[in-house]
Amino acid sequence: MPGFLKEFFNRNGTLMGSLMLGLVLFWTVGLIILPQLSMLDFSFRPNLPPPEIGGPKDVYTLENYKYLIYGPEGGSQDYNAVDLRVFFRTLVAAVCVTIFNLILCYPIAYYLGQNKGNHIRVFALMLIIPYWINEILRAFALRIIFGESGVLNTLLVGSGIFDTPFDFIRNDIALYAGLGYAYILLMIFPIYNVIESLDHNQIEAARDLGAPWWRIHKRVVIPYAKPGISSGCTMVFMLSAGALAAPQILGGPSSLWFTQLIYQQFNDNSDWPQGAAYAIVLLVTCILLVLALMRVFKVNMGDIGK
Amino acid sequence: MSAGVGVDLENLWIRFGDFVAVRDANVHIKGGDFFSFLGPSGCGKTTILRAVSGFLEPSEGNVLIGGNNMKGIGPNKRPTALIFQNLALFPLMKIWENITFSMEIKGASARERRKRADELLDMIALPGQGDKLPSELSGGQRQRVAIARALCAEPDVLLLDEPLSALDLKLRQHMRTELREIQQRVGITFIYITHDQGEALTMSDDIAVMRAGVIDQIADGKTIYNDPSTAFAASFVGENNVFRGKVLDVRGDQALIRTNRSGDLLSRISTANQGKMNVGDDAMMFIRPEALSLAPTGSQGDHFVTAKVNHEEFEGNVFNIFMEGDGGKELKVSIPNHGQSFEDHSGQDMTLEYDVNNAVAVPAGELAAE
Amino acid sequence: MTTDKIIRVSIWIYLGIFFAYLLGPLIIMSATAFNSPSFPRMTPWECLTFNWFGELFRDERILNGIWNSILVGFGTVILSVSMGLAGALMLTQIWPKLRATYYTIIIAPILIPGVVLGISTLVFWDRINRMLGLGADSVLSNGLFLTIIGQSTFIASYCMLVLVARLQRYDIALTEAALDLGATHAQAFRKVLMPFMMPAILSAAVLAFLASFENYNTTTFTFGEYPTLTIELAQKVRYGITPAISALAFMIVALTVFFALINEANIKRKKMIAEARKDATVGELAGKIEVPGLISRNPAAIALIVLVIGVATVTASAMTYSPDQCIADVQEQKRLETEKRIQELRDRRAKEAAEKAAAEGAEGGATQTAPKPSNNSGFGGVFAPNTLQNEGTDDGASDEGADDGAAGSSNNSGFGNVFDPNALGNDNN
Repeated sequence: MPGFLKEFFNRNGTLMGSLMLGLVLFWTVGLIILPQLSMLDFSFRPNLPPPEIGGPKDVYTLENYKYLIYGPEGGSQDYNAVDLRVFFRTLVAAVCVTIFNLILCYPIAYYLGQNKGNHIRVFALMLIIPYWINEILRAFALRIIFGESGVLNTLLVGSGIFDTPFDFIRNDIALYAGLGYAYILLMIFPIYNVIESLDHNQIEAARDLGAPWWRIHKRVVIPYAKPGISSGCTMVFMLSAGALAAPQILGGPSSLWFTQLIYQQFNDNSDWPQGAAYAIVLLVTCILLVLALMRVFKVNMGDIGK
Repeated sequence: MSAGVGVDLENLWIRFGDFVAVRDANVHIKGGDFFSFLGPSGCGKTTILRAVSGFLEPSEGNVLIGGNNMKGIGPNKRPTALIFQNLALFPLMKIWENITFSMEIKGASARERRKRADELLDMIALPGQGDKLPSELSGGQRQRVAIARALCAEPDVLLLDEPLSALDLKLRQHMRTELREIQQRVGITFIYITHDQGEALTMSDDIAVMRAGVIDQIADGKTIYNDPSTAFAASFVGENNVFRGKVLDVRGDQALIRTNRSGDLLSRISTANQGKMNVGDDAMMFIRPEALSLAPTGSQGDHFVTAKVNHEEFEGNVFNIFMEGDGGKELKVSIPNHGQSFEDHSGQDMTLEYDVNNAVAVPAGELAAE
Repeated sequence: MTTDKIIRVSIWIYLGIFFAYLLGPLIIMSATAFNSPSFPRMTPWECLTFNWFGELFRDERILNGIWNSILVGFGTVILSVSMGLAGALMLTQIWPKLRATYYTIIIAPILIPGVVLGISTLVFWDRINRMLGLGADSVLSNGLFLTIIGQSTFIASYCMLVLVARLQRYDIALTEAALDLGATHAQAFRKVLMPFMMPAILSAAVLAFLASFENYNTTTFTFGEYPTLTIELAQKVRYGITPAISALAFMIVALTVFFALINEANIKRKKMIAEARKDATVGELAGKIEVPGLISRNPAAIALIVLVIGVATVTASAMTYSPDQCIADVQEQKRLETEKRIQELRDRRAKEAAEKAAAEGAEGGATQTAPKPSNNSGFGGVFAPNTLQNEGTDDGASDEGADDGAAGSSNNSGFGNVFDPNALGNDNN
């Protein structure tokens, strides 16, 4: 559509227009679309040493995906039970973390959104500050707390609730707490933004009509905040399913996160195509889940990121 | 007063996709004129202004400023300055910086700019306000700053896009006089866009009446008011009573029209349509409310109208009588108040009289929306 | 009325729990930076120490990581803010039919897991590199380049969101007015649009830098020769944690709070200036506006001053205070305790051995097992105190290097732990 382009350059000037167009194309095509396609392509190829890439052995194959389901060829088991279990456990755990975060964050988002005053600014600041601290350090902080001789165990044993220190890390409690902790802000802000724009008179009106508080939330606030809630849930789900730092630091020795498998394929096994295939599986599954949820709750993509 | 720079639109067409915003406009604007485009919103008048200022390339035809074709010349290279509907004062710049922005672009020193700003601030009667921010001024003051900013660029043509629409009525009336004064002082061509016929009539040397992308009539205010060339122009500019019908007879520059409800009425044919209206054509006849006067009840003839009175109201300087009119529209009559007694005629029939020269007949056409 | 009260109280309890969850870990972590045990912990509180900060600044890898993080951060800020701005501007004028698709594309990187972004960046640029026939040391396979590119992919989306919010309040007529007054497109951009966007650009830049600084998931695949601070921290945290990391965390927390307060104070100040301008006369405007008492009515400024004074006090006391005496006391106390316990253990062993020997002797069995336990307990006795000592004196490694060596071997032997009644606290490995 040269007409469209001509108008674009007329409006922005040749120099600014080309700069803008160039940057946008570099970002969308060069950084977003092509790398994803490239990874998709890569995931269908065998793992070859660099000289053989593009050679006769470099043909498309489903081997990498088969591996996730059936495990190594000639393996003792019919299915790749270990990796599949990690995969499903990751998804289920991410859903749990999302729900936990939603329950934890909805009240505070509502409180912040519907109250005004100086203390709200202070609360907002207190919310943001932890988010500025390094992800690794936040996980580290939780490890100090949940460690065998950590604050929590000292407290519990000291107060006589437990006789012996409880291993929070081995039982994955530290991991879930850490994942929830990491993405609190991403749940609060979208919900807060929506609830802030809800006219307080609506709530007053509902209360005036005699609705109890839970009904006000069910009939007035939650339907209104739905875009924010789904936006927050989407982000928290995607980020916790894709988290790597928290599982590495807080995960128990026996329990793996799916991203850790990808990491191992890349860094320990040097099997890039296999890692790419796993990454594709993770990406596609997450996107499908999110899209399905969006369909169920009838929200669109445009609401994300508000 | 200098002659100023004229603006010509030649066979100007502007399309957005399938939508035709301006259809074959041909306008000659004399240098130093105060020229208004008058029309309802969406008629394409702003589009014309954007084509003149260079924000829009015409689909066909040419814009000439001072005889030079402006094709391919961007807004920043044209000798025009535009005053935006919302003024578009730069919110983060102080008033003096706003006013002298065009000098900043050319690399003038701060001192020069400051000096020029002070001169212009004096001219617009805002002396010493240069250090405020736009948000710290009132609507009328902002208005004047926008004018000063445009004038500072020393344009040959000043374009104004409904600049008064955001002001309240009092201020709007005051600014009309002020704008006209400024225009006469600087002597450059003003092209003014408005949907308010009062503004157009009070300020303009010439007015172009626009309807749905088409220019209906170009003339001075008096001509447009008294001698409209289309039904739209007649109904859009000022209040007017319409009588629909067919031409029964043409007598020189007059026509006898068989109206749908009020019998056969005689009317002058508007200048532009003389010789073009034939017997049997659909026609419309317009009479201003103030051109009608009371006549003895039952008077007959081709300049008498009889109708039933719906209601009456007293407006101070005039009595308004609303009668059953043509095509669902009420017939309005304004009787000047000379202190005479006035009785209520509601529900009765009443006969009105008019001077044939004050009635105008045009071919039937689209009326302006109420 | 009582239910109202209950609700109010429960709201405050909830808020308390919430912020305890949110801030508690950071506070505890910060506190561990000042406790002397080599495993970061709050309890038991042993000695106030500032040595972990010294330890931190002697750590080459951390310092190098900070430097790399800053390099990557600057690159990412420049690239992602400009891409975000271009993307936001494009969003406001793109062909309406394309808008939804375009928005989905530029918002997607936020939702794509960081791991996936890292991998796709790595794979894609590796391929480009190969296609261009460049070697493994080319710019395109350079860790710095890859990390900046990978991070910018999604950080630009965040920037775009921040910028679009501001851009929506921008009146395009302002740019047109500038053009109309003779400005070129570049001038209109620089003199009108940029100043308007500046607050959003600054927040986007800060956001981009922080996001870049703390990014792990993407960077872990792309860093190559340029491990950022986060990568170094992750390595350290995964393979053993020390309070030096707490010290770093404390500094980051303090800096964050510091800048947050500065920001707050600034916002407040601007508000006050704006208010003062409103009532100002023409004469006042021409001159300078006196802001009535910057400190008064500005709680953020007050908090800032308190914070600065606090930090100054801590720094000053760190210069003069030496925890050596306290650490030595604690060690001495521990040593005594341990010796006592070992003595008890030894006595008990000896007694048992004696009983056993007596029993065996009575049964007339072989005596060959008898020396073993005594030998064993002796071994533990020699090394156990060192083990414990090591726990408290990692910071003082230079003074006690010789002991350290011995302690290390004792740890590896594992015997010390077997017999160490304090094993609970000895999980620094």
